[in-house]
Amino acid sequence: MSQVYFEDVEPGYEVGPVVKNPTREQLDAFTTVWGSQTGRFTSDEAAQKEGFSGVILPGNMSMALLAQVITDWAGSAGKLKRLECDFRRYVQPGDTLNCVGLVTDTETEGDESRVIMDVYIENQRGERALQGTALVLLPNKP
Amino acid sequence: MPDADDIMANLDYNRDVVGVDYDVGMHEVTEEQVIGFANAIGETNPMYLDKEFAAKSPHGTLIAPPAYYTSIRLESAPDAEVKFGTTGFNASQHCEFYEPMKVGDTISAKTQVSHVYAKTGRTGTMVFTVRRTTYSNQHGRDVMMVESSMVRRDMNQ
Repeated sequence: MSQVYFEDVEPGYEVGPVVKNPTREQLDAFTTVWGSQTGRFTSDEAAQKEGFSGVILPGNMSMALLAQVITDWAGSAGKLKRLECDFRRYVQPGDTLNCVGLVTDTETEGDESRVIMDVYIENQRGERALQGTALVLLPNKP
Repeated sequence: MPDADDIMANLDYNRDVVGVDYDVGMHEVTEEQVIGFANAIGETNPMYLDKEFAAKSPHGTLIAPPAYYTSIRLESAPDAEVKFGTTGFNASQHCEFYEPMKVGDTISAKTQVSHVYAKTGRTGTMVFTVRRTTYSNQHGRDVMMVESSMVRRDMNQ
């Protein structure tokens, strides 16, 4: 995989959008690993009783999808140091999710080259399902 | 509509657990789990997937993706048991990653309810329970911290 360097990035630089289409199978795989017994993540009937059309994704899973987009971009030598997310809309299997990182600042502190970005997941209706910020360390160009 | 201070003054919840740390178990990080999780969320980074690549990295072994912690099953800890509203959701998460979890690590976790508060906005009143969970490795070093905020509210607001 290619490596992005600190010098390649400036405010306005965009990561993605990377499109994710979580499926019911992926949701089931996630909840199995996670060990969640919460009905709205595993049972359509339980989700419908809470007013949803069917099962929804745990916020953790949406956050993991967004984290994956960031770590994939940061490459083997990059490090995700901080991730903060607000969960604003629920996500369901079959949704089309645009996962985006938008660099807002870069700074050097000690031996760390830091990239600060707004991160979000937008659904097919243009609504922000997740919104937050991330701090990523990138290597300097050799 | 009652304001947030009124709600908090009369809120039924377990105040005894706020600020108290509880051990919530240990977890062995295995190759199978790391690769399984990485595949489940579509990772391609060889640090999480390729043993030979990872062996030559500064870590010397496979590391877990940052969000791996979501797959660690913790023992339950006493909850604030907030009696408010008809439904609860994950409102936000704040993660700080200090160093990666590696295959072969034994991770222990402790958790506490750090804060319970109410907020009144245009859609009504919500009560938030903030829980802080810290994960440390077998060397006694903290590897990450997660602050997770759950909100309770009326479903039809």
